[in-house]
Amino acid sequence: MKTFQLLASAVLVAASFAAAHAEETAPNGIALGDPIPRSLVKMQGVDGRELSIADVRGTKGTLVVFSCNACPWAKAWETRIVALGNAALGRGVGVIVINANDPSVNEEDGYAVMRARARQRKMKYPYVVDATSDVARAFGASHTPEAYLFDAEGHLVYHGAIDDNAHEPAKVKERYLQRAVDAVVAGREVATRETKALGCSIKFRPRG
Amino acid sequence: MLHRVRYPVLLCAITLSWAGCGSTDRSPRAAGPSREPQLVAASADRIRNVVRRPGATAVVVNVWATWCTPCRQEFPDLMRLDREYRARGLRLVLVSSDFEDQAHEARRFLARQGVDFASYLKTGNDMEFINGLDPRWTGALPATFVYDGHGTLRNFHEGRTTFAALERQVVAAMNGLDSPETSVGDSIGKETAP
Repeated sequence: MKTFQLLASAVLVAASFAAAHAEETAPNGIALGDPIPRSLVKMQGVDGRELSIADVRGTKGTLVVFSCNACPWAKAWETRIVALGNAALGRGVGVIVINANDPSVNEEDGYAVMRARARQRKMKYPYVVDATSDVARAFGASHTPEAYLFDAEGHLVYHGAIDDNAHEPAKVKERYLQRAVDAVVAGREVATRETKALGCSIKFRPRG
Repeated sequence: MLHRVRYPVLLCAITLSWAGCGSTDRSPRAAGPSREPQLVAASADRIRNVVRRPGATAVVVNVWATWCTPCRQEFPDLMRLDREYRARGLRLVLVSSDFEDQAHEARRFLARQGVDFASYLKTGNDMEFINGLDPRWTGALPATFVYDGHGTLRNFHEGRTTFAALERQVVAAMNGLDSPETSVGDSIGKETAP
């Protein structure tokens, strides 16, 4: 009887562990065609204002980029993101760049550096803090930089990389995000809708 | 096509002080002017070939970078796994995704970690590399793939892992089994990264 109780307890413990682990590691996030998640969550921008994704939506579309200050890939793409984002603003596309990283992992990802970087790079769009990382979780974002482009109706039409060469801008062959933005502005279907690139894992804040 | 050829040639040039670029020698290196391990340019195809090479009971492929905090944090666990399971047939395949002009930093890091076998430097297009290893991989680092001795992928994990998790996965793979914690996205890395 004792052996049976011990076995039953072991099975229960194993099942609880598996369930907890499954909950932690279940793939999540949005798919092509899905609406903007957590679009009403207010996030503090580098100018001190609280803004949501809904606040910046454009008439033609909305670009959301998860990025940060410290990641070498984010740095490598930074000037291209700024150029593309600043230009998109004038074409009816709302733009917001979100830093979901926990700055306790790397202080370079803190608010002061965000402010300095936005000034230095002349970002015209909001660069905001996802203070719980829950916006990134809702998107299913995993690394930086990672771009999500929504059409005028707010449905996801592009997800992925900025282009096909982070390190050597002169050797870029495929400007994925630029082409997707051009399509959205023109009201055309985006040809390449999902791409990938290596990047730094998002340093998520602990769940509240 | 030309650029695909050029990078391996460049890397061969960078690693001139070592044996040929195709080497997968895992024996400790003889003392020489440098103890830094060989770093070989590799596409996903090449890594898959290394995985499928006969002779292993399990293969762990870890994609990392010197500047990636969770990668550096989990590295001692990978090295412990190699020490404890190499004699039982584990093959550890380390793939740096540092930019190619930073290969020397990757070699220096590997030397400090005690890596004494040939290691790899990712080359070529990111998306081809990512999807070539596993389409479920989003591209976030670190990423760890556990294969059985037949080259069948048994476990995939994005984010920081631990020795205990790796050990479970390797033992399962050695027995031809999947381990329960295959995961994509929000994972140990998210929950425990300091």
